[in-house]
Order: sequence, then structure tokens, then C-alpha cells
Amino acid sequence: MRLEKCWFCSSTVYPGHGIQFVRNDAKIFRFCRSKCHKNFKMKRNPRKVKWTKAYRRLHGKDMTQDSTFEFERKRNRPERYDRNLAENTLKAIKKIDKIRSDRASDHIKNRLKTGKVQRQKEARKQLEQGIHLVKAPLALAQDSSLCLPKIKVNVSQAQIEENQPMEE
Amino acid sequence: MIQPQTHLNVADNSGARELVCIRIIGASNRRYAHICDIIVAVIKEIVLNTPLERSEVIIAIIVRTHKELKHDNGMIIRYDDNVAVVIDQEGNPKGTQIFGIVDETQFTMGKDTIANIKTSIRNADMNRKGTIQIGYLNKK
Repeated sequence: MRLEKCWFCSSTVYPGHGIQFVRNDAKIFRFCRSKCHKNFKMKRNPRKVKWTKAYRRLHGKDMTQDSTFEFERKRNRPERYDRNLAENTLKAIKKIDKIRSDRASDHIKNRLKTGKVQRQKEARKQLEQGIHLVKAPLALAQDSSLCLPKIKVNVSQAQIEENQPMEE
Repeated sequence: MIQPQTHLNVADNSGARELVCIRIIGASNRRYAHICDIIVAVIKEIVLNTPLERSEVIIAIIVRTHKELKHDNGMIIRYDDNVAVVIDQEGNPKGTQIFGIVDETQFTMGKDTIANIKTSIRNADMNRKGTIQIGYLNKK
């Protein structure tokens, strides 16, 4: 029994899942589910399809080079069964998995760090412009708890004198 | 899913190049044939200077289908074309070589008629191409 990788999305294909397509030049394409299979039949390039691992690695969204990947190399020679080795391997798989996923999430966190200020700016602008979606403007005028703090403007003396004729 | 009127390529050097299925051997009203099924076919296209002739009715066994075959262990395998191998009444192949990919697990499962065909699946990682010699030679 072997856990294969889906050719299209690079997720693991467990036994009993998916379809294998054998091309006439003896190349085997394994798919994890019909979504990937159908995309393949449509002749889509996984490197251009945004949700696949191939795209993410190519565009630097996911971690590409790490020492933890060395552990998961494909080995064609079967190992003689050794109970201790099997036990240690099972423990190691868990640990390596945790390390790898931690490093991967760190990679993503670092990638998203650079845009933080920009995102906050955009969020602030969206709040200012779209406050009417949250609360009606009339209600806001009466109870301004949802508004951003208003900037105080100093009105000059000349303007007050001009308004007085109007009030009469 | 091979049925009458299906065109099949031929995967051996028996002399035929293209077959048209006429009938599926088995139950009288059998609709479709899959890998490992025996069909009666007529030869539509031949390789020149071989013992077989055009519009000759022969028996063949299907080795590759475009329709996926479901294995008992849950594997589902699909090939790129519909291909058959020409055999005779006893089940011995008429050619001496089989070309292309054949799944050996399907053919060694106790089918007496094709016990003489020895085949092996090509491992894509080892990147092998070519032909397989059949265990016994067709003496002409």
C-alpha cells in the first residue's frame, strides 16, 4: 500500500480513492477526486490553477524548500521489517509533520506581514465610506458611537459674522 | 465498455491492426465487454504480408479500455484507448509479442484461456517502453 500524490492538486491519494489514468507512453496520472480528473481532461495546467499546490509553490505562496521534505522522499526499496524501526518511524512521522506544518504557517505569516499596514488603511477607509451599511445615517447622527472620532476644525471669526445676516 | 461496432486497436504482432467487435462471448445478451473479456471481432485493417486477412472473423481478448476498470482493492484505472489481442479458440495468442501497457494482475486471475499470456505492467517511474515476449512461441 502506498500513499500517492494527486497529479493535479498534490494532495495525498489514499487507497480506495480517486482514478488512475495510464497514458499510452506508460505515464501514470493519479487523481484524488473527480474535480482534479475533470480539470486534467480539460487540459488545464495545474501551475495556472490557483488552488493547486503546484501554483502555490510556483508563486511563492507556500514553502518550497525545507529539510523536512527530505524525509518524505519516495523510496523504491522496501525495508525489512524491524519493530523498533517501525515504532521510531511512527513517532518521527508525527513530530516531523508538526515541525513542517509550523514552518509552513510561519512562512505564510511572514508573507502576509508586509501588507499589514496597507490592509489596515483599506479597512479604515472601508469603514468610513460604508458606515451606512452598518447603521442608518439618521441614527448615526443621534448616537455617534459607531463613528470614527471626528476631527475638530477651528472656525475662523470671519465666517461667524457672515452667517448672522442669514439667521435673521 | 466495448460493444458491437466498437473499433479496437490491436496490441500484438499477429497481423491485424484494427478490429471491429461483433459479439461479446459470455451470456447471450451481454451488453458490454471490459478488460479480460473475450470478443468476436472482424479485422478491418491489416499489416501487409501477414497470415491474417481483412474481413476475417477472429476472436480477441480485450487488454485496455478507455472506460475505467474497478479493481477489488478500490483502484480505478483508465487507459487511453481500446485495445485487444488476437487469440485463437483455445486462448493462445496468435502473435508472439504484445505491445504497449497491459495490466498483469487482471490476466493472471485464474482465467484458463489466457494462461499462456505473460504480461507485465509498465512502471512509469522506470520509464520503460517497448514490447513483451509472450511465454510460448506461436509456431507457424
